[in-house]
Amino acid sequence: MDKILAKKDFSRWLEALGAYDVYAPRLIDDVWNYELAADPKAVSLDYPQTAIPAKKIVFPQREFLFEFREADTGGYELKELLPEGKPAVIFGVRPCEGKAVILTDLVFGGEIRDDYYWKRRNSAVLVGLACATPPTTNCFCLSVNGSPHSKEGLDALMTELGDQYYVEAITGKGNKLISEGGAIFHEAKPADKKAAEKVHADSEKKLARELKNIKDVPAKLKGMFASPFWDDESMSCIRCGICTYLCPTCHCFDINDEVESQTPLAGRRVRTWDTCQFPDFTMHSSGHNPRPDKAARLRQRINHKFQYFVEVWQNYQCTGCGRCITLCPVGIDIIKVVEKVRDHAS
Amino acid sequence: MRANVYLPKLAKVISVKEEVGGVRSIKTFRTQFLDVGFTHKCGQCAMLSIFGKGESMISISSSPLIKDYLQFSILKMGRVTSAIHDLEVGSIIGIRGPYGNAFPIESWKGRNILFAGGGIGLAPIWSVLQTALLLKKDYGDLTLIYGARTSPDIVFKEELADLKSKMTVHLSIDVAEPEWKEFVGFVAQNILDKKPSPENTIAITCGPPIMIKTCIKALSEIGFKDEQIYTTVENKMKCGIGKCGRCNIGRHYVCKDGPVYSWAELRQLPQEY
Amino acid sequence: MVKHEDVRAEAKKLLESGKVKYIIAYELGSDGWKANPVFIKKPEDVDKIIWGPTCVHNLVRFLVDEKRRKALQKNPDTRPVGVMVKGCDSRAIVILLQEKFINRKDVHIIGVSCETTGVIDERKLAKKLKGWIAKTIEFGSDENFLITTDSGAVTLPASEIMADRCLECIANFPIVFDVLLGEKTKRTVCHPFGSVEKIETLTSADRWKFWSEQLEKCVRCYGCRSVCPMCYCDECVADTITFAVSPDTTAEEKAQKIKWLDKSPVISENIFYHMVRAIHLAGRCIDCGECERACPVNIPLRMLNKKLEKEAKLLFGYDVGFDPEKPALISCFRDEDPEDFIR
Repeated sequence: MDKILAKKDFSRWLEALGAYDVYAPRLIDDVWNYELAADPKAVSLDYPQTAIPAKKIVFPQREFLFEFREADTGGYELKELLPEGKPAVIFGVRPCEGKAVILTDLVFGGEIRDDYYWKRRNSAVLVGLACATPPTTNCFCLSVNGSPHSKEGLDALMTELGDQYYVEAITGKGNKLISEGGAIFHEAKPADKKAAEKVHADSEKKLARELKNIKDVPAKLKGMFASPFWDDESMSCIRCGICTYLCPTCHCFDINDEVESQTPLAGRRVRTWDTCQFPDFTMHSSGHNPRPDKAARLRQRINHKFQYFVEVWQNYQCTGCGRCITLCPVGIDIIKVVEKVRDHAS
Repeated sequence: MRANVYLPKLAKVISVKEEVGGVRSIKTFRTQFLDVGFTHKCGQCAMLSIFGKGESMISISSSPLIKDYLQFSILKMGRVTSAIHDLEVGSIIGIRGPYGNAFPIESWKGRNILFAGGGIGLAPIWSVLQTALLLKKDYGDLTLIYGARTSPDIVFKEELADLKSKMTVHLSIDVAEPEWKEFVGFVAQNILDKKPSPENTIAITCGPPIMIKTCIKALSEIGFKDEQIYTTVENKMKCGIGKCGRCNIGRHYVCKDGPVYSWAELRQLPQEY
Repeated sequence: MVKHEDVRAEAKKLLESGKVKYIIAYELGSDGWKANPVFIKKPEDVDKIIWGPTCVHNLVRFLVDEKRRKALQKNPDTRPVGVMVKGCDSRAIVILLQEKFINRKDVHIIGVSCETTGVIDERKLAKKLKGWIAKTIEFGSDENFLITTDSGAVTLPASEIMADRCLECIANFPIVFDVLLGEKTKRTVCHPFGSVEKIETLTSADRWKFWSEQLEKCVRCYGCRSVCPMCYCDECVADTITFAVSPDTTAEEKAQKIKWLDKSPVISENIFYHMVRAIHLAGRCIDCGECERACPVNIPLRMLNKKLEKEAKLLFGYDVGFDPEKPALISCFRDEDPEDFIR
C-alpha cells in the first residue's frame, strides 16, 4: 500500500530511525554529499546530485580487510575486520545510483562473494528520490536503460508531490523502514498515485541529453581497438581519477598493507578505491605496462562500460548520471565519445 | 563456514633453494599449511602474503598429485618479491587460493605434450610436466624446449639433468658460452630448429611476453593450430578473484577466467597484457 | 576586446604557414556555453576556437604532454606548438622556461587579454543564476559579464562571479608571448593575497582545524596534481610505484623506494600529500587556480600555494613567474636572505 508523507513530517521519520545510521545529502562548501544526518530537522531532499555517489555507503573508499600481528611464537595472528553490518538507510538516492548498485552487486557477488560488500549491502536500505526534473544538465539515464523514476536497486521510492512525498515500498526492507514511521504516513489515494505517475511520465520528457542508437556500439568498439581514434579523444585527458572515482558503477580497488608497528610487526590489510585511469594501475613490477598511455586507458574506460561489461552482464556499465562529464576538468564527454564511436566509419 | 576470500591461510616455508643467483635471482620455495590448506589443479596460482609488504600472485609449480607441500618459484622483481626472497626455512607467510582456471590436462590424455619455456616461465608449466611424468602412461611423448639468457639463468638445473633420462629435453641459451654444447639462440629459434611434430600434440608455452609471442609464431609456422597451443598469461593482480579490476582484459579477468588460455581463445581478447 | 575571429585569424595564419604543429586552444564544450581545451591541427578547424570568460583552463599543462610525446618519438616534428595563454598562464610558461623544462623555440605563445574582469568561476555563476542555465557569456565593457540564460539576458557585476584568483591577480596580461591579442587593462577589483590574509587572522589552532576539515574531504583523485603544469615529475612523491624503471633497475632499487604515502584517503595522508605538494610548488605556483577548479569536493587548494607565494615575496623578495632568465626560487639565494632560523 503506497503512502503519503507530508514534507513537514519528514524529519519525524528520520527521528524514528534511531536504530539506523541515517545518511542524507548535505551541502558542505557548495558540494552535496551523502553524510550522516546529525540533525533530522536540517535534512532537505531539495538537492540536485551528490559529488560522490551512494556507492560509498556499501563500498566505502577505505575499508579494513583484516588485522595482522606478529605472534611471540614466530607466526602471525590474523583477525578479520568485517563491517559490523549496522543497519544504514540512505535517503535521496537518485534512481541512477540505485541501478548502479545493482551493477556493482553483479561484480561483488557471483560464485565468490565479497563478504565486506555484502555485509554493508544487506544492511543498507536505499530510499530513492525520483527525479521530477533532471538533477543536472548532463543526465542521460534513459539512454542506458534507466529512468528518472526507476525502482531498480532501491528499497523504497519517494516522489515529490508539492508539499508531500508519495512513498512506495519496493522491497521488504523498504516496507519495514516505512513502518518505523508509523502514523506519520497516510494511505495514498488513487489521485495521489495518478499524480505521482504523471510526475514520472513527465520527467522522462525533461532529460536534456540523449545517447541514441547505441545497440551496435559494443560490436563497433571491438573493431576499434587499434584505432588512432583513442589518441585523438584522449589528447586532453590529464590522467586524474575524477571520472572513475565519482562514477556510481566503477568498482576497481587496490589492496595494501598499512603497518602500524614494526616490532612486533602489526598492521592492517586495507582496500581503497583505485582507477584504471592512473598510469600505474596496470604497471607490472618489471616496468612493463599493458596500458602505457592515455589513449589505452581512455579506451579501457569506454570499452569496459560499453563493451566488456555488456558481453558479461548484458548491461551497460553506465547509468547516465553525468558526473564524469560535469566534473572532468578538461570536459571529456562520454556521450560525445560514444557517439563518435557509433558514427565511426568502420 | 565459508571462509573470507581475502583472509590468507597461514603456511610455513619448509625449503628454500636458490635456482639463479645475482641480480635476476630466482628462488624455489616449498610451503606447508599450518592448518587445513587447499588442493589445486595444474596452472592455478596462489596469492602469497608477506604481511606488512603485500601480496604477489604466483603460479603453483608443484603437481597437484603431491600432497605434502606447494612449490613456488619466484623471480625477485620488486617490493613483495624481494621480501619473499628474504624468507627462511620456518618463516610464516599467508597463502590464499587456488585461483584461476587450469590446464585441461584431462582432455590431453593420449596426446603428446610439448613444453616451450623461457627463464622463469618454466615454473608455471612445471606442474603439468611433473603431473604428466607421474601419470606417464596416460600421455604420449613429452618434450621440453627450454632456454634462458645465460646458463646460470637456467632454473631447475638438477631437475632438468634428471629429466633428460625420462623425456626429450632441448636446452638453449641466448649467447654462446665456452662450455655450452647445446643450441645457442632464442627458444623460438630452437623450436624451428628442432621442428617438433604437431601431430596429436599439445604445446604449452610460457615466458616473458616477447618470448610467448615469438614461440606462438614459431609453433604456428611448424603446423600447430591455434587450439593446440596453450599459454599462461601474467598480469598485475591484487584481489585474485575478479573483482578489483586490475587484471582485466576484454571481458575476462586473468585471475579468474585465466591465466590459462589456448591461443585460439587468447587471440580473441584485446592484446593488452 | 578580443573576439573569437581575432584568435581564429591568427591560428589560421599559423597553421597555413606550417609554422606550428598544432595549436592548443579553447572550444565550446558539449553544454554549449563553457570552454574546453581543444587541439587544432588543420587550418580548416580554426572555427572551433573560441575566446571568452569561460576560458579558464591553463593550457600550458598540455605542453608537458607534448614534451613527453616527443621524448617517445624517434624523429619528432621539431616545430613549435601554438598555445593560447592569459596573463596567469603565461607565468607558467616562464616557470617552465626558468627550469629549462621546455625551450622557448618549442612554443609559439598566443597571448590573449582577459580584459578588466578576468574569467568566471563556474560555481559562483551557478549560485547566482539559481537554477537558470547559462546559454552564452561574454566579456562586458564595464567591469561586468553579459550572460544570456534560458529565461533572458542578465548582466552581472564581474566582482560577483569572477574567479577568486582573478580577484587577486598580479599579472592580468601575458608576460611572454609571440603574438598579443587585445589590450592591457587595469584590474580594478584586485586584492593580491586577500584570501591568504583571511586565514592569517586565525590562530594556529583554528587554522589547523580549518585545514583538517577541508583536507578530510579529499578523495585523492589527484585532480589537483594532474591539472597543474608544474607537477610534471615523472615520479611523484605520492606515487608508490617506481615509474622510472628500466630493464637495469634492480629489484633492490624498486624494493627500497620509500612508500611515503598510503593510498588511504585519511587525514594524515591527505595532509602530507597536500603540504608536500604545496612545498614542492613554492616559488613555482603562479596561481592559475586550476587545482581548486578541478577539485570535485571544493577544497580551497589555492590558498596553500598562495601562502607560499606570499612568503617568497616577503622573505626573499622573489616574484614568481615573471622573468624567464631568473633562476628558480629554490635554486638561488641573496646575501641578504633572512638567517634568523640559524642559531
